[in-house]
Amino acid sequence: MNNYLEVKNLSKSFDNFCLRDITFTLPKGYIMGLIGPNGSGKTTTVKLILNMLKRTSGEVRILGLDNIAKEQEVKKCVGVVFDSNYFSDDWKVRQVEKSVSVFYENWNTQRFSELLDRFQISPAKKVKELSKGMQMKLMLACAFSYDAKLLILDEPTSGLDPVSRDELLHILAEYIEDGEHSVLFSTHITGDLERAADFITYIRYGELFFSGGKDEFVDGFRIVRGGREEFTEELREKMLGSRAFPTGFEALVKTEDLRQFAHLSVEPAAIDDIVVFTSRGGEQYA
Amino acid sequence: MRNIWKSVRLDFSLIKPYGKTICFTMVLPVVFAAVNRSLMTGISFAMCFIAMTTGYTFSIAEKNDMERLYGILPVRKGELVIGRYVFVMIMGLTALVCSLIIQPVMLAILGENVTTLEFLSALVAGIVLFALYTVFQLPGYYRFGSIRGRVFMYIPVAGFLGMLFLTARTPAKSGGLLTAVIHSPILLMVLAVVLVVVAYVISILVSVRIVQNKEM
Amino acid sequence: MKLIISNISGIPIYEQIKQQVKAAIMSGDLQEDETLPSLRTLAKDLKISVLTVTRAYTELEEEGFVKNIQGRGCYVLGRGSELLREQLICKIENNLTEAISAARVANLSREELHRLLDILMEEKADE
Repeated sequence: MNNYLEVKNLSKSFDNFCLRDITFTLPKGYIMGLIGPNGSGKTTTVKLILNMLKRTSGEVRILGLDNIAKEQEVKKCVGVVFDSNYFSDDWKVRQVEKSVSVFYENWNTQRFSELLDRFQISPAKKVKELSKGMQMKLMLACAFSYDAKLLILDEPTSGLDPVSRDELLHILAEYIEDGEHSVLFSTHITGDLERAADFITYIRYGELFFSGGKDEFVDGFRIVRGGREEFTEELREKMLGSRAFPTGFEALVKTEDLRQFAHLSVEPAAIDDIVVFTSRGGEQYA
Repeated sequence: MRNIWKSVRLDFSLIKPYGKTICFTMVLPVVFAAVNRSLMTGISFAMCFIAMTTGYTFSIAEKNDMERLYGILPVRKGELVIGRYVFVMIMGLTALVCSLIIQPVMLAILGENVTTLEFLSALVAGIVLFALYTVFQLPGYYRFGSIRGRVFMYIPVAGFLGMLFLTARTPAKSGGLLTAVIHSPILLMVLAVVLVVVAYVISILVSVRIVQNKEM
Repeated sequence: MKLIISNISGIPIYEQIKQQVKAAIMSGDLQEDETLPSLRTLAKDLKISVLTVTRAYTELEEEGFVKNIQGRGCYVLGRGSELLREQLICKIENNLTEAISAARVANLSREELHRLLDILMEEKADE
């Protein structure tokens, strides 16, 4: 089976928020970034995948298995990192292993202690004594010790310093190097994904905006800049989002519409630009 | 079945850092037994205290947002719930057995003789009291969380006060409970045990339902 | 082989890889039958997406510079390969066409252009 994660028409209704019709596929051996502004439905999507929330409709398959019908089997091969640790604060790192390892038949104690060594986590320290970056690495060490095939990260880098974020990206790149592991990485810090992600799934106000190759996503948009007099009604219709100021304007346009903007200054768009201009913030500027 | 044991172990590792505190609270009932010169009082206190410690697992899990850990472990929610009940019962039984050994010895040292009947009635009363305390408390915690669920802790306390009130009103040797036990001790014990089992089964079913309907 | 990726050059990363691999083959830095770095290892080392490297390697294969053998890696086909030769001829043609257009603008005669080429080739030969 070549798809490690398949999400089809996934929907969830809350009183004040709706996640509608999310569909995407993550093949084996790749990293997918799940992006969107805060409150757009990233965490809801992750929790639906893990069956921590009950879906209203749709389907989720992990390593080819239905995530509800085969929940136990699925969870044996999924590792999860949340934005903060989910172990007891008072546990020593050693105790974390004791408590969690019993749940996984293929837990590799030697691998766990190698990882602790590598991440420079002392087994005698209490979880609450570890820095945020260390706590994240502890969750990773656990997932790697039972050889999770699919790693799901939910906002792992919020509140992390640049060094830890870079380390995380390196660890993930190593993790998928053998082509047998995949990563779903939800974040609003898109700089982390700019280079490392293979696929992008962009959710906006609970709806799917894009899912596909990252290069394709980034190539699909351009940033154009020009003077105030070039900010015409006709061009504005083709802009996905724009920001005007006394001395000029900048806007996000689709690459396919670029011909009409050829007289302006054109630049490649970063993932951040695309998210900012296509979200509410971008519209307010327009 | 194996998953239930794993869940039990997980619960024990949760309260492990609080082990000393719990052991210390279990010394107090011995003192009460000694002061009141009554095994029944000591056992009642012991069961009340140990029932209160069941809240620890909930408050520790809540403090650390461990719902997320429970959500990713490869176990059924029902297995986690049953595991917690087994954990609670082990705690209760351990406290009961220890108290039933230490307290009579203590009383004997003080020159107070504990009859077999007193011993047996304390045993049954201990089991019944503990079940009474926990069957309400656990679904309360699952439904309302460790803070608001704490209200359900007052059920054991109220039960304990009522018990104390009853035993204080009637002379120890001819108390209502004791008289009944004297008349048909076996029947009463069997009845008590059956009641306890039924109460736990209902309580577990309620808790599992609550947890399965809960979204994290 | 040396690969340096720039984030601000404006050239897509897969294009940068392609250019540098081609340059290495032309300069003899990469010999025939040598393998390119493993796709996934390269992605990890350069901190770029696996798909980006895949695209660069696939296009290099399409252009006849390398041959991908499933499970063994990407082999350099060497400078003698027919496709590569065609590629190079195409490139020469393009560059010469450009030179001709420039010559036309500069009002250079055919003879002058030929002489320029001869001089440049001699200079290269001296190196």
